[in-house]
Parts: sequence; structure tokens; C-alpha cells
Amino acid sequence: MLRRCLALGAALILMAGLLTGCQAKAAESTVFAMDTVMSLTVYGGKGEEAVAEATELIYDLQNLLTATDENSPLYALNHAGGAWTTLDGDLLALLSDSQALCEKTGGALDITAYPAVQAWGFISKDYRVPGEEELTDLASRIDYAALELDLKGSRARLPEGMEVELGAVAKGYTGDRLAQLMAELGVESAIFSLGGNVQAVGSKPDGSPWRVAIQDPDGQGNLAIVEVTDKAVVTSGGYQRYFEQDGVTYWHILDPVTAAPARTGLQSVTVIGPEGLVCDGLSTALFVLGEEQGMAFWRDHPELGVELVFVREDGSVAITAGLEDSFTLGDGFTDREVQVLS
Amino acid sequence: MSRNAKLILLLLVLVGAACAAFVLLRPAGEGTVARITLDGKLVEEIDLSAVTEPYTFTVEGPGGFTNTIEVEPGRIRVREAGCPDQVCVNQGYISDGTVPIVCLPNKLVIEITGGGDSLDAATG
Repeated sequence: MLRRCLALGAALILMAGLLTGCQAKAAESTVFAMDTVMSLTVYGGKGEEAVAEATELIYDLQNLLTATDENSPLYALNHAGGAWTTLDGDLLALLSDSQALCEKTGGALDITAYPAVQAWGFISKDYRVPGEEELTDLASRIDYAALELDLKGSRARLPEGMEVELGAVAKGYTGDRLAQLMAELGVESAIFSLGGNVQAVGSKPDGSPWRVAIQDPDGQGNLAIVEVTDKAVVTSGGYQRYFEQDGVTYWHILDPVTAAPARTGLQSVTVIGPEGLVCDGLSTALFVLGEEQGMAFWRDHPELGVELVFVREDGSVAITAGLEDSFTLGDGFTDREVQVLS
Repeated sequence: MSRNAKLILLLLVLVGAACAAFVLLRPAGEGTVARITLDGKLVEEIDLSAVTEPYTFTVEGPGGFTNTIEVEPGRIRVREAGCPDQVCVNQGYISDGTVPIVCLPNKLVIEITGGGDSLDAATG
């Protein structure tokens, strides 16, 4: 009888364990970095340790990737007057990957658009509309291919008057590095919100996919929800950073060809895929390319494994075929037209 | 099977059913709770669904600025702030978990948890 009581007790404890297991405890942290707010959530026994290491990594990457800090390596490169600058291996590798992505997008993504971004006041927040002549000059100084990388010699150089900035890929790259860190720590369930960039590691603790909301560009709530496992979800839209002058809205995503805001009939582009860096860079590039050319790019590059959500200026939505089963419209948006593209 | 074994089996089934009932019938949202943090540290948690009279209070953040927060039944906003960009003030009231109020210069975050659809993150 005693043994049975013990068995029963053990069974009850097991049940209780299963029950609380449904609400596995999460370690959470909020980090202010890279000019945004990031929230880190890690599930499992190593949560606290993983969050602490993730926070440290984010601060390290912030110092490595910034172009505004006068002590940063990119600032040194941008102000070297055309001379070779010695760079850290991680940064050089990222510049190389970013340059390759710029090339893949035919220059729709360009990491040398920084002087133009500055001229519009998007860094200083002192907004202004540059004149035509100035824009022509700015556009002539945007060319990712002019960045020379010497991987063996750990150095890089840029023609004078040009500047590199990694804003279009830094958060995506950070997501990749965080995912890599989680893999090293044996974490199987974590989600990182890096100022609008989402990096999902594994699935939720109960094995179901993460539910990631895509915000309505008009600020009215969650336009849609995508379910993802082990994926990055990144959105670029003109509504994220903009100013108005004389009744015209100017946003921060510039077309490298004109050095002016890219206007292609879209409110936002969301890219979902296995790599944060690729999703981040492509969300910008595809916003610049627009839906038609963006879809051509998507068909030409199945190896990237990305899926897309376009929100058009009229509010209608287009998604790529691979999202059909994981995409739903949000509450209050169920009357939106959704077109499936392939 | 012995009587005791049957008893244990019955108990196990009951416990299992109770567990399932708890998980399934648990209320979806325990009200709307606003969580206010400064530089990631929790300052205050307010159950907005339990607020009856509006009130305000002021916090001072690591940025050296103050944010005056106005709490009303079901919603919350930053009424005044000493920060340079006033993004937090201009955002107005929030009442759900869609977009948190963030004052970057002062490292203030007001986010709402509980209630509504269960989402893990948002992009945009």
C-alpha cells in the first residue's frame, strides 16, 4: 500500500510538472541599442545565462557596426580620405556579405547610400529636401562596388567622398549572430525583437510555431500574422521614418539611382527567411524595386528560401505562394484583399 | 487488476482531466496590464482594467528626463516628457499590446500584456 501511495504521489508530481511545462518559464530582457529598443525572450533552463550573453553580444555588435560613433571602425573607414583602413575580421566578413547582397539585388540595396541619407537629415533629424543638383551629385557617390575589401590583409578602402553604413543590415546580422549564439548554448526556443526585426529561434516551448504580427503601415494594429519556426521576419516601410514638407511625405528608404525616397507603390515589404541579414537587406531592396521587379527577383532566387508580403499603397496585400498556409489577416483587417503570387 | 491499482488509475484520470480543464478553460487574458520599465527595470505594473479614476505620475529615467504618465480606465499614455523628440507623447494612448510606447532618450517602455490575441513578436 505504501509503495502504491508513493507511486500515486510520483504520478501526481509528474502531472503537475506536465501542467506547468505548458507555461515554460521565460527569461526576458529589454536592451536599448542600435538606436532602437530590443526585447529578448529565451525559454528553457539556460534562459538567464543566454539572455545575459545575448545582451553582451548586442552591445559589442553595436560598437562594431555603428558609423556615427567617431571611435568606430566604420567612421575611420569613411574618413580615411581614400586610404586603406585596417578592420576587424567579423566586420570585414559582414561588409563582404553585404556587398554580395547589394550585387545580388542589382544595387537596389546599397550600403554606400550614407551621404544621401545624411543629406536628407535622416541621421541628424534635421530634415531637408536636397535640390536636384545636389541629388545628382549624391547619387553619383552611391556605388557599393567601389568599396574595396582586402580580406587577406584585413583592410578596406573607399574613394574619398563616399561613406559606408550598415543600417540596412545591422539588425538582421545581429539576429543571425544571436541565433548562432543560442545554437552554441543549446537553446531551442527563443525570440528576439530587434526594433522591428524579428529573429525566431526554434519554435515555442510547446513545439508550435511563433506567431509574428506584421504591423499595419497606417498604425491601426496588426495587419497580419505569420507563423514561423527558425526564421527571421523583417519589414521595411516608408511609414517607419519620414517627414513631411509642403504636403509631400519623404521617407528614409532611398533609391540609390536617384538618392531620393523610393516610390514604387508600396507601403511596406516584409521578408521571411532563414537568414536575418538577407531578410533585412532584401526588405529594403524590394521596397526600392517594387512589387513587379521584387517578384522577378524572388523567382530568380529560390536558393535564398525567402517568402514575401507586399502591402500596397491602396492597402491590398500580396503574398508569395509559400506563405499560403502560415499567413492570416489580423483582427479588424479580414476584409483586406490578399493576392497569392508565384 | 487490484482495487488499489484501479483507484490509482481513476485518480490519474481525474488529475489528467483536471489538468486539461485548467489549461483549456483558463481565462485568456487576466485583464489588460501595463508594464512600465526604465532601462529594462520594472518600475510599475498597472492593471488598466481595474483603474476607475484617471491619475498621473512622473518617472525619471536614466536619460535624465522625466515622463509624466497618465493612466485611465483601459488605456495609458505619456502626457508630458522632457525628452527632445517627444515621440512618446505624440504616440498618444495605447490600450493593447500591438505597439509599446517607447521613449528612446529616456529608455522608457510602456507595454501592455494580457488580453487579446496571443502574439510573440511584431515586425514593422
